[in-house]
Amino acid sequence: MVAPLLIAIPFLAAFAVPLFSLISKRISYYIPALALFANLVISLVLIPRVMSETIVVSIGGFPPPFCINLVVGPVGLLLAIIISLIGLLVSIYGVNYIKEGPKDKYHMLLLALLAGATGMVLTGDIFNLFVFFEILSLASYALTAYNRDRAGTEAAIKYLIQGSIGSAFILIGIAFLYGMFGTLSMADIASKVGGADPGFLFVSLALLITGFGIEAAIFPLNAWLPDAHSSAPSSVSAILSGIAIETGAYAVARILYTVFDSDGIMLLIAVVGLITLLIGEMSAFRQREDIKRLLAYSSIGQMGLILFAFGIATRAGVFAALFQLLNHMLAKSLLFLAVGYMIYRVGSKKLSAFSGLGKRMPVSSFVATIAVFSLVGLPPFAGFMSKFSVVRAALALKDPMFLWFVVLMLIATVIEAGYFFRIIQNLFFKSGNSLEEVKEAPLSCLVPISVLAALILIIGVYPQLVSGILDAAAQGLVERTAYIQYVLGVP
Amino acid sequence: MIMVSILLIAFVGAGGTCLVGRGNPRFRGLVASLVAFLPLIILAFLYGRVISIDYASVPFLDIGLSLRLTPLSWFFGIAIAALGGLAIVFSISYMQGKERLNYYYSMMLLVNASMLGIVLSGDFLSFYIFWEIMSWSTYLLISYRGKQALGAGLKYIIMSIIGSSAMLLAIGSLYISYGTLEIPSLATALQGASAWYALFVLLMFTIAFGIKNAILPLHTWLPDAHSEAVSPFSAILSGILVRMGLYGLFLLMFSVLGLNTLNRLSYGAISFNLVLSWVGALTILFPIFIAVLQDDAKRLIAWSSIGHGGYMILGIGVATTLGIAGGLFHALNYAICVALLFLAVGAVEYRTGTRDLNKLGGLMKRMPITFTGALIGSMGLIGIPLTNGFISKWLIYKTLILSRYPFLAFAALIGTWGTVLYGYKLVHNVFLGQLPEQYKEIEEVPWTMRVPMIVLSGFVVLFGVLPGIPLKAISVIQTHLGMTRLETSLFGMPKAIGELNTLNIFFALLVAGLIAYAAFSASRRSRRVSQYDNYAAGARVPVGGYQHSVRFYDQADRIIRPYLRDRIDDFYGWIATQSTAFFEQLRKIYTGNINTYATWIVLFVAVLIFMGLLGWRI
Repeated sequence: MVAPLLIAIPFLAAFAVPLFSLISKRISYYIPALALFANLVISLVLIPRVMSETIVVSIGGFPPPFCINLVVGPVGLLLAIIISLIGLLVSIYGVNYIKEGPKDKYHMLLLALLAGATGMVLTGDIFNLFVFFEILSLASYALTAYNRDRAGTEAAIKYLIQGSIGSAFILIGIAFLYGMFGTLSMADIASKVGGADPGFLFVSLALLITGFGIEAAIFPLNAWLPDAHSSAPSSVSAILSGIAIETGAYAVARILYTVFDSDGIMLLIAVVGLITLLIGEMSAFRQREDIKRLLAYSSIGQMGLILFAFGIATRAGVFAALFQLLNHMLAKSLLFLAVGYMIYRVGSKKLSAFSGLGKRMPVSSFVATIAVFSLVGLPPFAGFMSKFSVVRAALALKDPMFLWFVVLMLIATVIEAGYFFRIIQNLFFKSGNSLEEVKEAPLSCLVPISVLAALILIIGVYPQLVSGILDAAAQGLVERTAYIQYVLGVP
Repeated sequence: MIMVSILLIAFVGAGGTCLVGRGNPRFRGLVASLVAFLPLIILAFLYGRVISIDYASVPFLDIGLSLRLTPLSWFFGIAIAALGGLAIVFSISYMQGKERLNYYYSMMLLVNASMLGIVLSGDFLSFYIFWEIMSWSTYLLISYRGKQALGAGLKYIIMSIIGSSAMLLAIGSLYISYGTLEIPSLATALQGASAWYALFVLLMFTIAFGIKNAILPLHTWLPDAHSEAVSPFSAILSGILVRMGLYGLFLLMFSVLGLNTLNRLSYGAISFNLVLSWVGALTILFPIFIAVLQDDAKRLIAWSSIGHGGYMILGIGVATTLGIAGGLFHALNYAICVALLFLAVGAVEYRTGTRDLNKLGGLMKRMPITFTGALIGSMGLIGIPLTNGFISKWLIYKTLILSRYPFLAFAALIGTWGTVLYGYKLVHNVFLGQLPEQYKEIEEVPWTMRVPMIVLSGFVVLFGVLPGIPLKAISVIQTHLGMTRLETSLFGMPKAIGELNTLNIFFALLVAGLIAYAAFSASRRSRRVSQYDNYAAGARVPVGGYQHSVRFYDQADRIIRPYLRDRIDDFYGWIATQSTAFFEQLRKIYTGNINTYATWIVLFVAVLIFMGLLGWRI
């Protein structure tokens, strides 16, 4: 019964932060790191058990489908591990980085966000999924506005409005499902989907996909993202770009693969993913001023790639999508964290202000370069292995249309290389600004980003480290009958 | 194990040099040279051996990664290690006092290591991985100097990634079709492939390799990159790095696809090889004359690099025993000569601070070793007998004539004519004529810069007099690939293939030289006069105000320049501008207006539901 702790610990810790801050402010800032470290340890310990068998936890003692249940399968556990790892690193970073404003609220909201994200990936109940999603969203809205400046507030309000529309759609979608099947357990719905009215089913699927698609930054639904990710404090951007949108993508995938057996819509998902990819990369290419906005657009592009891989709809495709998801989480959170201190030290978000920063902040610039290479998909970094997996999965369909899709995907890679390599040159080889006073980032930043960089390099050189659990996760997502059996018991 | 250790030394050494440099900068150059030369020594002992080992596996792809030493990879590996080592030795003085040397040395070594990785790869996944490491490390080195180098570096990496994307597509497709990426297994599997499929794979790889080897419509990155890079790196870049494209093409054409499959790729009289040969011929023609027009010494050599790549493509395009030998041998010779020239120009730049051909002159007396190096290098490019270039060009001409391609042979000949023009321009404008006033006190470069030039000059002459040494290695390659092998002796080739005996040429030249020497000694001694004594036929020459290397070939320049504009580069530039403008328009869909955004969301769900009403089912 350790699995519920993964959600309980960050929640309790979130409420503990304001309590402890009554005693000592300083101590309360370390609570998130402690809580997430505990989460990381627990989730790592669970790996061997989960790899052999999916853990189903029933809350309240009723057997599924009559209660809220947690399903700790390889997918959920994998994402929980990364969420707690990145969360841990970001909270270490945040202790020093967050200098102004209501700091205890920041740490509290951060924990709430992470608890919501962990809950989303572990729950087996669709209404529960919505509840955790709301927790995540509310915390994100608040954190986006944390800086209390004009841009942050505006972005947060826009995010709030669009997110609320999405939540409404999700709720309506869930209501449809409940009306049809009288159950909210994902496994139970999944087992009954076959006999339902396809028209209703399609409508509820459309509503759910749109709702979660807003968080997952699918193309016409992602307009909140560039504003929110660029106006939030950098540590929040790292969480938003490195965790929040990925859990959105997870929700979309879970709904597509497990709840509905939606083969017919997969091509649409692939096409929408491809469009998202291209538009994200093209917009990022034109973003010559604001570095955080550029990274935000690049996140859109990467989410498009992940969605495209999910749209391939084979086990290899899901494997590639999850692999890309993992690599994007590592690389993008690294970039936001590194860029956070660069912006802080230089005092400007402008790309041109970063010229020659490589000499002043060598470690930050160096690890940022590793992340960039990984995002572009250059070996020997992790991004290459996942990009190659996507290419392999798409070509394995032996469909000429997917060959052209891969060509488009590679064109997007070229565009991506275009803007990222410009940044690298800017950092290292351009000179101009007087950066005499600029110092290297403190250890509380260097340690987290170095850990992430080391992971990127290790996964790139030794993909076996993660390919086992990724493969199990892909299997867990694709094989819905096994999922149903695990949750409901052998029928 | 030995192969893994070569790569380990190379890669770990690259990182280690950085650490040593941080600890004690004095040992940095020494350690870097050691790291560069160790693989050369190990490789030298492995001559003629074929080794193949698996060094890692990728379980999720269900394939192994392997290293494979063949005579072909040995041939290229030796050249990489030797040139890399010499360039590092040259750097020790050349780079002294420059900034970020730890970075510079480790990147140089990383480029070398990745190139060794490429030639030692036994499967295409390893090949691709090393290829990409080479691409990005090269990009980082090209950008090293900042300013204009930034544009050059960006252009390079974009084109390079376009190429490797094409390669990735082919590799992915090969993996899906045959379930393996091992080169020997693919070689067997592809024999049964349809011609269309083979052509698809070949074309995709040709885009990648053509960009690296700078064949004609794909060459535009090269002049900028080569002239903006640091000189020792230009030597590597131009000498051997671009030839990785040739290596790849050769590997794919003759080791993977094989002559039988290549012969199937034809439509009537047009075959892949013929098209490739013509591309090679055009690659000779235009760039070599563009080289004649250049005033920047390094840009001149860069354009010549593109042109001479054409000879190699021509050689392997014709694909006869003689042609393949000529193509490979020319790759080696050109690598030596061009590295020599880049080092010589680098040495001049080191002392004078400029490489503008309009501003230099008369350095022969001040920098005799550099002058000799540049002279021998140019002679090698031109292909004057008793230099290595003569043999390889002779092989290529012979191939073209024997295979009855008169027009291709003509193109190759015209290319040589252009080489004479720019080779002379380079040597004359830098070393001959009047010494500008400000360079009167210039001294020869330090010995660490002289030694690499002397060694390279030595090889130009050695391979010119004893072409049998490298040709033996090439014939081993041909035997290994199961082709007819080139019969050679130490001094050339027997009559059956086309007689060539450098010994006779050597003695003929020796006798001619002796006669000339005797004639000169017998006649009256010449009197040394000051340069200003007779230079302008008695008129006063304004000291320092007269630079007679300005606007060299002015007349020819005016006639041919209009025809030689690089329109391809303009075209790519136009595409870049147009797409950037398009991206800008596209970006405006993010209007910043929340009403629009909300509308999109509602529209999206409405369209989905509408499709459901139309009967779309999950």
